[in-house]
Amino acid sequence: MTSTAADVRSRGKELRKQSKSTTQSVIVGTVTLVVFLALWEILPTLGVLNRVLIPTVSDTIWGLGQLIIGGYWWEDLASTLSSVLIAWTIGVAFGITMGVVLGTSPFVRTAITPYAIALQALPKIVLAPVLIGALGFGPESKIAIAVAICFFPVWINTMVGLSLPSAAEFTFMRSLNATRVQLFRKLQMPSAVPIVLVGMKHAMLLSFTGVLVAEILSSASNGLGKLVKEFSIQLNMPLTLAVITVVLTIAVSLVSIMDVLERKAVFWSESERGKKS
Amino acid sequence: MPKNNDSKVLVRLEGVSKKYQSGSNEIVALSGLDLEAREGEFLSLLGPSGCGKSTALNIMGGLLKASEGIITIAGEEMTKPRRDIGMMFQQAVMFPWRTTIENVLLPIEVFGLNKKDYVAKAEELLEMVGMTEFAKSYPWQLSGGMQQRAALCRVLIHHPKLLLLDEPFGALDEFTRETMNQELLRLQSHSGSTAVLVTHNISEAVFMSDRIAVMSARPGRLIGVIDVPFERPRKPELYGRPEFTKLVVQAREMLGLA
Amino acid sequence: MSTAATSGAQATLLDPQKKRRKVSPYWITAALFPAILLVWFVVTQLEVLHPILLPGPEAVLTSIPRVLGSETFGIHASRTLIETLAGFALGAAVGFLLGLLLGSSSVLRAAYLPALSALEAVPTVIIAPLIIAWFGFGIEGKAVQAAIACFYAVFITTLSGLSLANANSVSLMQSLGASKLQTLLKLRVPSALPVIFGGLQLGATTAIIGAIVSEFVGADAGLGFLLLRYRSSYDTPAAWVLILCFLVIGVSAYLLISFAEKRIVFWRSTAVSRPDLEKNDH
Repeated sequence: MTSTAADVRSRGKELRKQSKSTTQSVIVGTVTLVVFLALWEILPTLGVLNRVLIPTVSDTIWGLGQLIIGGYWWEDLASTLSSVLIAWTIGVAFGITMGVVLGTSPFVRTAITPYAIALQALPKIVLAPVLIGALGFGPESKIAIAVAICFFPVWINTMVGLSLPSAAEFTFMRSLNATRVQLFRKLQMPSAVPIVLVGMKHAMLLSFTGVLVAEILSSASNGLGKLVKEFSIQLNMPLTLAVITVVLTIAVSLVSIMDVLERKAVFWSESERGKKS
Repeated sequence: MPKNNDSKVLVRLEGVSKKYQSGSNEIVALSGLDLEAREGEFLSLLGPSGCGKSTALNIMGGLLKASEGIITIAGEEMTKPRRDIGMMFQQAVMFPWRTTIENVLLPIEVFGLNKKDYVAKAEELLEMVGMTEFAKSYPWQLSGGMQQRAALCRVLIHHPKLLLLDEPFGALDEFTRETMNQELLRLQSHSGSTAVLVTHNISEAVFMSDRIAVMSARPGRLIGVIDVPFERPRKPELYGRPEFTKLVVQAREMLGLA
Repeated sequence: MSTAATSGAQATLLDPQKKRRKVSPYWITAALFPAILLVWFVVTQLEVLHPILLPGPEAVLTSIPRVLGSETFGIHASRTLIETLAGFALGAAVGFLLGLLLGSSSVLRAAYLPALSALEAVPTVIIAPLIIAWFGFGIEGKAVQAAIACFYAVFITTLSGLSLANANSVSLMQSLGASKLQTLLKLRVPSALPVIFGGLQLGATTAIIGAIVSEFVGADAGLGFLLLRYRSSYDTPAAWVLILCFLVIGVSAYLLISFAEKRIVFWRSTAVSRPDLEKNDH
C-alpha cells in the first residue's frame, strides 16, 4: 500500500524542527530577502524586466491595498473558502469511511491495492471538465471536483494506518481475548491517528487545488481562482499578484492550523520523536 | 606478539575528560583518564555501560574532542581523525550499494589512493578470513558474522598502526563471536598493529588482552589496570585454566561485582 | 516488522479459518475488474448519473479508436508528454540540487527552509494564469508550471533523505577523515536514494497535473486542451477516453519510476512509498 504523498509532504515539518536558526542563518536569510526584494523592485523599474508583466514590489503592495480597500471580492473569498472547507469535510469523512471499510481486513486491503495504486497515479484533476460539464458552474461542481481529488490521501493513509500495529501488538491483544471491535478501537485506530492526520492535511491542499482549478476552468463561477484568471487576462498584474498573495496566505494558515491540531492530537508520537532525536 | 614492556608508547592520554551539557545539567562522561597503549599491545577498556569507555575510544579516534586533557599518538598531539588509525564498530557498517571488496577498499578511495594498487591486498585479506568467494557479494547477502569479517578486512586494508575496536562483535551470537575474536587476534598479531578494544565482557577482555583498563561509571573513570601475562597465540583451552579464572575474579572485584 | 508479515499474522489471528481458505487476494483483484465494468454498465443503463457525466462503458470503449485514430491525437499527446517530461526534468533537477545545497549547510538550511517548506501548503495551480501571461500558450509555460508543481516533492525528499544516513556509517566516514564532499557522495546521497525515489514518484504525478492545469488555463494543443474541446462539444465518451489516456500515462510513469528504482536502488527494494517493507530495517 502506498502513502507516498503524505509521507513526502510530512517531511518538511520534521526538518524545520531539526534546524535551529543561528545569528548567521538569520543574517543570510535577511540578506537574501532584502536582495530579492530589491531586485524585484529595481529590475522592472529600470526596464530590465517588463514592468507590465512583472510589476515591482511596491506595485504589488499597492495592488494588495487596492484589493483590500475595494472589497468587491469578499464574495469570491467566501465562496472559495467555504467550498474548500465543505469539500474537505466531505472528502475526509468519505476517505476515512472507505479506509475503515476497505482497510480493516488485510485480505481486502491486498486485493484492492492495485486499484488504489492506479487511482493514485491518475491525475484526478482531469475529471474536472467532465464534472463541470455535468454539474454546471455552481458550487456543486467545485465541491465535487475538490472531493474527488482530496479524499484519496485520507483513504490511503487510513488503510496504511490500520495496518501499522506490529504482529506482537496483535498477539498481545489476542492474549487478552479482545474482540474484533476492541482490536479496532483500542489498537488499530489509535495507531492510525497520526498518519490519518497527515493525510487530512494533504487533503486540505488538494481540496484547495480542486476548488481553484474549478474556478479557473468554469467561466460563470466566482471565487479567487476566477479573479486571478480575469486579472491576468486583463494583464492587471499587480492585482493578479495580490490575489495570489491572498491565496498563499490562506493556504499557509490552513495548514498551520492543521499542524497545531495534529500536535494536540498525537502528543504521544511527538514525545516519542523528542526522545529519539 | 608477546608483551614487551620496553616497546614504545603509541597512544598516551593525560587527564582526559569529557563533559556534556544537558539542559542545565553537566554530565561527566569521562573524568581525568590517564592511560597509555604501547606499540603492538592489545589493550582492553572494560566496564559497565556509561563508564565512558566508548567515549575514550572515540576521543582516541578523533571523532570526539576531549573537554580537557591531552591525547598524543606516536608523539603527535591528536586533533582530527588520522589515517594510521582504523576503527571498528558494533555494527559492521557495510554500505549496501557496494560489494564486499568495494567495501573493503572504501578507505583507499577516501584517502584518494589508487584502488588498483590495493586490490591484491584486499583479496589476500579476504582469503585470510575465508571470504574469497563472497568478494563480489553484497552485504545484505551475507550473515552478520561474515559482514564483520569483511569489516575486519576493511580496517586492515590501509595497515593502520592503531586499531580502535568498539565492541566489534557485540551484535553477534556467542559462538560466532568467539571465532571472530580469535580471527581478530590472529590478524592483529600478523599485522603488528596496536589494538584498543572496548568491551563489557570480562572473560573476553581477559582472553584477548595484554592489559585491561577497568573503568567505573558515573562519572566514568579508571579504577585500575590488570596485566594479563598469558602467552600468545591464545588458545580456547585458556578459558579452563585457574589463572584465567583468577584474573576474571580480580576484574569482577574491581568492578564491585564480587 | 513488515506489514506483509503483520498482515499474515494478523489474518491468522483474526480468522482461525484463514489457513483453510486458500484463495489468493489477487483472484479478487482480477474479479473486481469485470465487476467494476458491470456496475458501471448497470449504473449508466439505469441513468442514476447524468449521462453527460458518465457515459456507459460500451460508449467509451467504442470511442477509443475514434479518439486515438484522429489525425491530431498524436500531436496533442506528444505535446503533453514533452511538457510533462521537460517540466519534470527541470523541477526534479532543481529540487535535487537545492536539496543537496541545503543538506550540506546547516546555515543555509536554517535560513531558507522556513520559507521553502511553506511551499508544502501552497496550491501551485494558482499561479497558472500568471505563468500563461508570462510565457504564452506554448510549451515553455506548461513545462515551467509542471516544474513548479513537482519541485517541492523532490526537494524535500532529497533534503530529508540526506539526514537518513546511518549514524555508524557517518562515524566510519569520519574516522577515515573523509571530507564533507566525500561523505555526501559516497554515503549520504546513496542513503537518500530510496526516499528521493518516493519524491520522484509523487513529483511525476504532480508534474502531469501541473501540465494539464496549465493547458486548462490556456493552450493551443495538448491532451488537456483536447479534453476541454471534447467537453464543450458534449462528446463525453471521447472525454472519458482521454481520462483513460491520463490513467495510462500516470500508471506508466509510476511503473517506469518503480522500475528505475529497482535497478538503481537495487540493494533495497523499499522506499518511502513502501512503508510496508521499509519497516524491515528499523
